Amino acid sequence: MAKDIIRIRGVKKVFRMGNERIFAVNNIDLNIAEGEICCLLGKSGSGKSTLLNLLAGLEKPTKGEIIIANKHVERMNEEQLALFRQQNIGFVFQSYNLLSTLTAMENVMLPLIFERVPKKERIERAKKMLDAVGLKERANHKPNEMSGGQQQRVSIARAFINNPRVVFADEPTGNLDTKTTYEMMDLITGMARKNNQTLIIVTHDLEISEYADRIIHLSDGAIEKIEINQRPT
Amino acid sequence: MSIKDLISMAVRNLWKRKLRTFLTILGVIIGTASIVVMVSIGIGMNESYTKQVSEWGSLQVIDVYAPNGGMGVVMSSGSSSSSSSKNNGNVVLDTKAIQSFKNIPGVMAATPVVNDYFQIICGKYVSDVSFIGIDPECFDDLGYNIAEGRGLTGEDKNAIVVGQTVLTSFYNPKLDWRARYNSDPPEVDIFNDKVQLTYDYSYGTKNADKSIKPIKVEVVGTLAGSDQNAYSVIMPIKQLESIQKEKQKHESAGGSTTKKKSGNYERAMVRVEDIEKVQSIQQQIKDMGYNASSLSDILESMKETTKMLRTMLGAIGAISLIVAAIGITNTMVMSIYERTREIGVMKVIGASLKDIKRLFLTEAAIIGFMGGIFGMLLSFGASKAVNYFAMKQSSDMLSSIPLWLYLASLAFATLVGVASGYLPAKRAMKLSALTAIKTE
Repeated sequence: MAKDIIRIRGVKKVFRMGNERIFAVNNIDLNIAEGEICCLLGKSGSGKSTLLNLLAGLEKPTKGEIIIANKHVERMNEEQLALFRQQNIGFVFQSYNLLSTLTAMENVMLPLIFERVPKKERIERAKKMLDAVGLKERANHKPNEMSGGQQQRVSIARAFINNPRVVFADEPTGNLDTKTTYEMMDLITGMARKNNQTLIIVTHDLEISEYADRIIHLSDGAIEKIEINQRPT
Repeated sequence: MSIKDLISMAVRNLWKRKLRTFLTILGVIIGTASIVVMVSIGIGMNESYTKQVSEWGSLQVIDVYAPNGGMGVVMSSGSSSSSSSKNNGNVVLDTKAIQSFKNIPGVMAATPVVNDYFQIICGKYVSDVSFIGIDPECFDDLGYNIAEGRGLTGEDKNAIVVGQTVLTSFYNPKLDWRARYNSDPPEVDIFNDKVQLTYDYSYGTKNADKSIKPIKVEVVGTLAGSDQNAYSVIMPIKQLESIQKEKQKHESAGGSTTKKKSGNYERAMVRVEDIEKVQSIQQQIKDMGYNASSLSDILESMKETTKMLRTMLGAIGAISLIVAAIGITNTMVMSIYERTREIGVMKVIGASLKDIKRLFLTEAAIIGFMGGIFGMLLSFGASKAVNYFAMKQSSDMLSSIPLWLYLASLAFATLVGVASGYLPAKRAMKLSALTAIKTE
């Protein structure tokens, strides 16, 4: 068994709605191994998205510890988080979230721009990534000139370009048709496996969860059951 | 993010919203141009005053008077009178004093000045003229403008340089005053006719003193312009003094004795190298116990009055730039609302707070900078237009834009951009990445 890259200890996230306290995430303990593809599966309101946000450092837990690559995410300030994300995290969104003023190529290398990677190197790397997601000839197109699937490919290329140790995918296929969904899942899991990167997929779609090594069923902010996907390797 | 990437990204973001960016820049253009034009009118006023005053004489020349000079003329009041009363009696304006003026750093030349009135005779016509005796070697430094011929040089003895008005002041001494008044001034050919001068003020009339012999002089040049020197004739001081001596001898023979102590002068002129130093050198001379004045005194007081006007004009211009600055802030705030999601995404994929802040500041700075550039062009045109209409009414330029004003306005406009972008940039920085990406 590979060593754990993510360790979640007694994490709680409480929201207040008027006088009511809502436990979006209620006392979760979870370890995720390096190179593992893990799916957080649950209905809307199950706390899966909140958990993802906590892991990515977008929200602070009310209680508990989140350790990714030996660093306490919950203790970082904004500046440290930015650096941490630059170096360790990739993100794929449901609605692609490409910058409309930039071309596919520029969108892909945006994380490297923030990281101050020299121009020559980042173009080189962006080209390779675009090639890997099969969009070589679309490099100079703007997002609004591309289909949803193509945009999501750009977004995947962007998530993987900084060689992150962990990639988060939040309903990555929510806006895509069935055929494209499979293409996309093959692409994203293939890339993660190739470089032994940890992939955490959040979805409500059972079919998508089939791509994962481990499926964490979430309900009412707690882990309902953990299912291990047996697959021939 | 490197500066190059920042700028390229900022330009794209601005370009995407062309119309809004253009309108915001337009505000800055108008603001910048109105400040520049307003200030330029203030500067133009100063320049035209300087021009006006310098028409009265050189602005670089200081007139120095002996503290208790026989003439008793104290042209400048205030500090000069107090400093002269201190040293009363001890300070004389002699050759040594002239030398000490020459030794003041920044002084190009100094000469004693002797004034007297003689008659100048040209052919059969005469004129009563004020003669100014100076050190002929200093002639070139004293700022006289030659219309024709040349100025005085060190070798000149009986040479004179004649002011413009003198040329038309000749009259026929044989006519009585009524006839003179009604006749046009006679034409004289000052360079070719025989020119003499005499201290016999009745020369050519029935009362002429035959014992006074006119002295032949040579006109080497005429002065241009209609300033104070136009009414005078300038000649070497040695020559003037020797005529004065002769005149004294003649008069004392006739009974009156107004013998002047020799070696002391009543007046001197000091030429300063740099117009900016006139006031300080003038003060130094005053501190030495002399009375000193210059045309720059008048100019200073004129400038003092334009200063207030300039401040007012500048303030009017500033108001429009403030409005433009609010426009920039407004545009940037709007832009943040629209780009909330984009900001969030950038944060999630690794943009630091500094990057976000810088991006918005850069965009605002570009708006300011572009506004500054086109504002410069507009103010150049506006200044030309103002001058065109001003020139129709008078010959003076109303608006003048020095290079520093262009550069300062460009820098100022950019700075205004950055300042107006600060608040929106802060706001963008503080946006929570989570709420930002959730915004649909």
